[in-house]
Amino acid sequence: MQLTLNQRESMNENIMIIGTGSEEGVERSQIDAAVEGIASASVPGLKERAGVVYASAEIHAALPVRESRSSTKDLNAVMRGVRPIAFLVHSDVEILEGRAPRSGMDEIMVGQLAATRLGVPAERLAVGSKLHFDNRDWTISGRFAAPGTVMNAEIWMPLTDLQVATKRESTLSCVIVTLEDATFADVDVFAKSRLDLEITAIPERSYYASIASFYGPIRVMIIVTAVLIASGGVMGGLNTMYAAFAARVREVGMLQALGYTRSAIVINLTEESVFSAASGALIGTVFGILLLDGLAVRFSMGAFALTIDAPVVFTGFVGGLAVGLVGALPPAVRCLRLPIPEALKSV
Amino acid sequence: MSFITCQNLTREYKKGDAVIRPLDGLDLEIPRGDFLALMGPSGSGKTTLLNLVAGIDSPTGGSLVIDGTDLAKLSRNKLAAWRSKHIGYVFQLYNLVPVLTAYENVELPLLLHDLSKRQRYERITEALERVGIADRADHFPRQLSGGQEQRVAIARAIVTDPDIIVADEPTGDLDKGSAHTVMQLLQTLNKELGKTIVMVTHDPKTTEYATRTLHLEKGRLVEAEVAA
Ligand SMILES: Nc1ncnc2c1ncn2[C@@H]1O[C@H](COP(=O)(O)OP(=O)(O)OP(=O)(O)O)[C@@H](O)[C@H]1O
Ligand SMILES: [Mg+2]
Repeated sequence: MQLTLNQRESMNENIMIIGTGSEEGVERSQIDAAVEGIASASVPGLKERAGVVYASAEIHAALPVRESRSSTKDLNAVMRGVRPIAFLVHSDVEILEGRAPRSGMDEIMVGQLAATRLGVPAERLAVGSKLHFDNRDWTISGRFAAPGTVMNAEIWMPLTDLQVATKRESTLSCVIVTLEDATFADVDVFAKSRLDLEITAIPERSYYASIASFYGPIRVMIIVTAVLIASGGVMGGLNTMYAAFAARVREVGMLQALGYTRSAIVINLTEESVFSAASGALIGTVFGILLLDGLAVRFSMGAFALTIDAPVVFTGFVGGLAVGLVGALPPAVRCLRLPIPEALKSV
Repeated sequence: MSFITCQNLTREYKKGDAVIRPLDGLDLEIPRGDFLALMGPSGSGKTTLLNLVAGIDSPTGGSLVIDGTDLAKLSRNKLAAWRSKHIGYVFQLYNLVPVLTAYENVELPLLLHDLSKRQRYERITEALERVGIADRADHFPRQLSGGQEQRVAIARAIVTDPDIIVADEPTGDLDKGSAHTVMQLLQTLNKELGKTIVMVTHDPKTTEYATRTLHLEKGRLVEAEVAA
């Protein structure tokens, strides 16, 4: 989740120009459509290829969409109206299937997690199928991926189409520019000097980081819940270990009577315990991967995918082993502290 | 000096100010090849004496020398090694590991010895045959009767070929028939293999299999030896 909201390092180069006072949410921002042209012309050092300046005029809007005209259920979609330049500015976006929507054709494009965001099955947003909003059916012309970014859960469409649909022909939500020789300060100075435009520059990364901090409490809640569940598991594990070892005090006494040394017994018991903990951790990991990996989670701003990747698997597995080790030692030592005659008497 | 020599052997426990002395200055000599039965009221110190001889407990006074080794002078690990070489312990409640087969239970003490799998197999089979239970090698303790379990436990006690067998009420939990089988088995081990046996018992009948019987009371020997 943090991964998703914090965005990737490469986005460092993107600066958002938004309406002053809208730092909390670009959906509320309204800036003059002319900002695109003025910014491209006024800020030197923006990225430029083949005479095209990397400045993406965009509309971000939360719109209710329906599965069809006859459907009565509103689904909350995050829409982004873009020009083709957006695919250059947002280098993370990759078209998986189909093609970019053409303007005036009532076409849209969906992100990988858009289905999750809407709460519909992924097949529902297959290329060629339709969604209904603004009294029209829109055909899905393509699917894109922007892994680890909020864009992954968005629906993209041509800027002009979304301007019409939202009835804001002469305004934009933001202009996103990509830096090359320029720095953030250059864009910032431009924004501050054009008081008439009422705009503010903010690095795209900071923008999403501040959204992330807004969602911090959710993260804390998730972590607290996870820790509670995990410590419950650890307690249960330790308790089981103690019970298992308590039942074996006499066996441990017998082994000592046969001539086994304490250290040999500790090593044996710990081995046993670590082995069973490892089996448990392995099973847990397999279940985790089967059930949770790729599972997409919705929240109000978008959706994020749970990833069970190598570090997560490693942490889980090592944690399991640690429980085996730490759980075995105290009861084993407790078992062995008893003098042999007393251990032999235990029932 | 005898094979096993106890001189002024004392074991005491301190509980705050109180001192409990289960063994109180005991003098005892056990020659090699003896089959000694120990009797006495509950709490007289029988198990305490047996545990000292078996090297799983240490005296707090006096000396205990077995075959020239002063047990009080051995470190904990040396004592464990000594036990595995010289002692076979037979418990009243068998103490077999429930998740292991009869064969694997008998194998346990052998794992402490430097033997190949093949050599272990031969020894285990021989021990199981001697106690007449070779056909039950694959059975788990729960699949055996009490008498059979005790015979597996005896096989476990003799598989390392120790010179001393200690048995704490080995028939205490058995019916008459099984007790007879077990006692005969112990007698054979004593007579044919020359094992020195020290046995605690409550049942006067079982003393008939021993070569002599001693009575303990309050941590001391009370009667003159009774020859069998
Ligand atoms: N760990 C201990 N702490 C304190 N006292 C003990 C301890 N172990 C044994 N005793 C005491 O030593 C005495 C002798 O105990 P022991 O087990 O040798 O008796 P026993 O002759 O084997 O009795 P029984 O026939 O009932 O088995 C008892 O009074 C017992 O309470
Ligand atoms: Mg006793």
